[in-house]
Amino acid sequence: MIRREVAIVGIGQTGYAKALPSTAWELAVAAVLAALADAGLDPADVDGMCRFAPPFEPVSEPMLVRALGIPELRFFAESPLGGEALGAVIAHAAAAIMAGLARTVVVYRALSQSKGGRFGRADRGGPSGQPAAAPSADIVVPEEDNRSFAWPYGLMSPGQLFALWARRYAAVNRLTEEDLFRALGSIAITQRRYANNNPAAMMRDRKMDWDDYRDARMISEPLRLFDLCLENDGACAYVLTSADVARSLRDDPVYVLSATQTLSPYREPMGIYVGGELLELFPPATAGRLFEQAGVGRQDIDVAEFYDATSYMPLRSLESYGFVPDGQAWRYVAEAGTGPGSPLPVNTHGGHLSEAYLHGMNGVLEAVRQLRGTACNQVAGAEIALVGAPAGSATILAR
Amino acid sequence: MAIIPAVTDLTRPYWDNARAGRLVTQRCASCGNSWHPPLPACPHCHGTDIGWREVSGAGTVYTYTVVRHATHAALADQIPYVIAIVELAEGPRLVAGITGCAPQDVRVGMPVRVRFTAVTAEVTLPYFEPAPSPSPTPPSTPAPTP
Repeated sequence: MIRREVAIVGIGQTGYAKALPSTAWELAVAAVLAALADAGLDPADVDGMCRFAPPFEPVSEPMLVRALGIPELRFFAESPLGGEALGAVIAHAAAAIMAGLARTVVVYRALSQSKGGRFGRADRGGPSGQPAAAPSADIVVPEEDNRSFAWPYGLMSPGQLFALWARRYAAVNRLTEEDLFRALGSIAITQRRYANNNPAAMMRDRKMDWDDYRDARMISEPLRLFDLCLENDGACAYVLTSADVARSLRDDPVYVLSATQTLSPYREPMGIYVGGELLELFPPATAGRLFEQAGVGRQDIDVAEFYDATSYMPLRSLESYGFVPDGQAWRYVAEAGTGPGSPLPVNTHGGHLSEAYLHGMNGVLEAVRQLRGTACNQVAGAEIALVGAPAGSATILAR
Repeated sequence: MAIIPAVTDLTRPYWDNARAGRLVTQRCASCGNSWHPPLPACPHCHGTDIGWREVSGAGTVYTYTVVRHATHAALADQIPYVIAIVELAEGPRLVAGITGCAPQDVRVGMPVRVRFTAVTAEVTLPYFEPAPSPSPTPPSTPAPTP
């Protein structure tokens, strides 16, 4: 088990914006250098690298090794499936460090959606990285991931996919339209308020009240504009090493208690074809493993950073990670809430909805700041944090 | 401009049958299990003698969304449209559009039946429309034993 054998010793990020002049390569280099500087390390110290590997990752390990002049990587590993890499990259890094395959592992994620690959536009080099077709030609959808059975009906973006999940959630739990509106809006508005106090957040100067939320255009019912994450340029990185090395580098390393990855048939994005209940694809069993390996319980978690490509995902994550009984998070977020002073503050940086979208990496950085006591929206005395994607790829960190 | 599926050796029977007005799913000749979308082997018994069987075309809306913002230029003139997951009476689920009613009238649990729509000379897509009665017609071939 990982339990405090490995720690995060450095975090780094670029600015986040709808469009930055820099390329994804430049952004990745800047974020990694910032993380190494924060750790008091040099690129020459890096001997391991773990990264997200969706098909549209713009920056490869060879590009970074060359640009940073890293003498040799002894270990590098990639994790597919977008946000499902969130805990996996930490699990891989920790395993490598504990097995002696690497000593200092960098994890990074860079996005440049302004230059192509917008997740919300299937015709501008979407998640598939496909170039736009000629306006008059038929668009032929490849069979890969069985998209050929979904795209012809216009199911082409993650936002639409999670609208299907949110609608199912409302039907199974017998929510009225107003119940669902209040639940999703509570998440979106709370995160916006956190972002308003976060200088790094893209939405720091954009206040949002219930009227703003309600009046925003409907994108894919029941999800409105502000239920969907931002699309942006930016990069994040962090550095992991063994606990012993970590303590020699700084007084406040953030220890990894556990990290999980998970894969079963018909996981996202194939969950639409699952034979069982769609909502159960956010599996409690994986969360159980996460807590068991960490040696802590739900009541020990002081702050949670949940992956939020849409506002629905933190809602369901409160249930799937066991903080709120199944089918009750919609009421919980509207009543107890997830803001400052609530039983479990969630997405205290503003999340993907209001800080920036970086495949959950910015949630890891926020958890590190919370545990160092340096967050903008600091949870007083935070000692243990959970960062998780909805389907169970997650980590528990501690100071 | 239409958005059409690439047809491969694995998926050709599905699309050929759709063009002929038949909705089919793969079925394992060894154990009788059925699923969608197509797979190269049976996920239950790992048999490779995989056939196709016609289903009734009856099902219910498992979940749906009304899309009001086009994510692809090819769909701009179709807004709003409905994407649903339809649970077939025989069990497997598939993604399809819902036609034949106003988008705001679609509900989870609503009975639907298949309605084929030719989008190009080569490609016909199964859509679904509200079914007149909640009781689906029997499948044209017997359902597999679970």
